[in-house]
Amino acid sequence: MGTQGIRVENLVKNFGQGESLVEVINGASFVVQKGELVALIAPSGAGKTTLLMMIGCVLEPTSGTIWLGEEAVYDGRWIGNDTRRIRREKIGFIFQSHYLIPFMNVIDNVTLLPQTNGLAKDKAHDKAMELLEYLEIAEKAKSMPSQLSGGQNQRVAIARALANEPQIILADEPTAALDVERSVNVVKMLKKIAQEQNVAVIMVTHDERMLAFCDKILKIEDKKIVISKLNDNKHIV
Amino acid sequence: MINLAQKDIAHSLGKFLVTAMGVGMLFGIVLIMIGVYRGMMVDAEILLNDINADLWIVQEDTLGPFAEASRVHEDLKDTLRAFEGIDKSEALTFQNLQLPGETKPIRVTAVGFDVFGKINPINPGRLVAGEPLTKEHYQIVVSEKTGYKVDDTFKLGRDIYRVAGVTRDTVSSGGDLLVYISLKDAQNLQFLYSNARIRSDRARGISETKEAKMANAVVATVRAGYDIDDVANKIKQWKHESVYTRTEQKAILTKNLIERSSKQIGLFTAILVVVSTIIIALIIYTMTLEKMKEISIMKLIGIPNSMIIKMIVQETLILGILAFIFGNLFSHLIYDNFPKRVVLEIPDAWMLFGVVIAASVLSSFIGIAKVIHADPAAAIGG
Ligand SMILES: Nc1ncnc2c1ncn2[C@@H]1O[C@H](COP(=O)(O)OP(=O)(O)OP(=O)(O)O)[C@@H](O)[C@H]1O
Ligand SMILES: [Mg+2]
Repeated sequence: MGTQGIRVENLVKNFGQGESLVEVINGASFVVQKGELVALIAPSGAGKTTLLMMIGCVLEPTSGTIWLGEEAVYDGRWIGNDTRRIRREKIGFIFQSHYLIPFMNVIDNVTLLPQTNGLAKDKAHDKAMELLEYLEIAEKAKSMPSQLSGGQNQRVAIARALANEPQIILADEPTAALDVERSVNVVKMLKKIAQEQNVAVIMVTHDERMLAFCDKILKIEDKKIVISKLNDNKHIV
Repeated sequence: MINLAQKDIAHSLGKFLVTAMGVGMLFGIVLIMIGVYRGMMVDAEILLNDINADLWIVQEDTLGPFAEASRVHEDLKDTLRAFEGIDKSEALTFQNLQLPGETKPIRVTAVGFDVFGKINPINPGRLVAGEPLTKEHYQIVVSEKTGYKVDDTFKLGRDIYRVAGVTRDTVSSGGDLLVYISLKDAQNLQFLYSNARIRSDRARGISETKEAKMANAVVATVRAGYDIDDVANKIKQWKHESVYTRTEQKAILTKNLIERSSKQIGLFTAILVVVSTIIIALIIYTMTLEKMKEISIMKLIGIPNSMIIKMIVQETLILGILAFIFGNLFSHLIYDNFPKRVVLEIPDAWMLFGVVIAASVLSSFIGIAKVIHADPAAAIGG
């Protein structure tokens, strides 16, 4: 089903050198299709964030190949020298905390990237309002992040991640700070976005209850990726 | 396009304004310092210009009364009048006096001149009340800021003086208020001693002074058609006194008096400018540090450096410009309260503006370096 959203081949990441060399990822290979919501699970310190940051063109791998869509972005080195442009145009990031810019209100936070990408102000504004409505937070458009609750801010952060119409969403424990009900809401939303907007979503989670909504599970085992299809087995970990 | 600087400033406007005001006060003080210096330049030349003499004849091998003690015989003026090329010449005295004041004595510089002579140091344009001196004795023209009015009387030395006139904006090159008295009175005050001193001198067999016919300088004007420098040179050869033209006297003033103070003021100003620069740099640095997390996040989600750097530079410039405006307001608000003349000149303000902008741009480099080196991955800390 679908077309390739993310493809990783033989990805290696070491930190440090010589004595203090730490191998975190050593030969990870997997594919995430567009339209898929994929969970990434592993114990703490296993390299989940490291893997996401490499796919997100934030952290340079030691070796391997990364494709985003059909385009190879890393093949032993960054292809094209503007990784930030790739992030800005192709990727939506969601984190455990919302990481909104505190000195800008909700609508400015959401329109920042699209406007940086060259979208006209009123178009970016309309688009952002649409997203905020979709995430049921539109009435807070003029509020500052400090005036919103954690869950509300997280929804704004999701709107920001969607605003540049990314092909890929990388979510690092997006539900960790939320209660179960809100967590489920967020994951459902990610699922809906994956399907409706044909986006490849990787979501790091520690919460087994969220796995039920995912199409696939990536597990880091022995510094490699093990893929399990989620059948009816809900207690795969 | 969203302007990050505008959003950030709007979000913490109060803090930003207070900061700008604080830095502005520093700039205001810088402006006042420069103004004090300008004021000294203006003050120093008031007396010189009012006397309006072509030549200053002073004690041999001295630089004249504006720089050091100088004594010449009063009758030198008569000798000079006979000199070819000299038009008018008069003897002048300069001395520090204390006028009785309400709480404490008022320090003034007294100019003594021949009331019936041809060169009058009192500039009629500065006279705001009363009249110039008309009598040989016990009259005084005072500067307005002494607080005395026409017909006030007070004791100087052994005698009671009556205020004949009041002048405005008259100060000596040292910044003291000027008063004018007759040459005879001045000689008495300068070269005669108190009753007690005279009694004690007499007791010791020291006879009363013959110095009464001394002055501190003789000033002269040169007849039309004669070259001032030529006349000056001839007097020098003939009379063995030091002779200075007005230009030379002005140069001595600037060199001896102003240079010393301007070095102090210049140093103060330079230190203040450096301190302000460091403070701006520190403010920008902390403002950037405070935003490190946001900057990392922006870098992570793909905001280009140029946009973030623009924010830092714009904020620095706005801070600098606001501080400059506050500084000007501040200096104009308080300069009147200074005991010394403060001359705020627009070119000086613009010069400071240039320095402020340069300092701001330099300061923002620190912020820019922080931005460039910020690690986007650090934003999410694990
Ligand atoms: N910059 C770095 N330098 C050295 N080691 C690092 C660096 N970043 C991460 N590591 C190491 O890499 C390993 C993986 O870290 P990572 O943050 O990817 O783990 P994680 O799976 O996301 O953990 P958690 O569930 O706690 O978030 C850890 O052992 C960590 O110490
Ligand atoms: Mg992590």
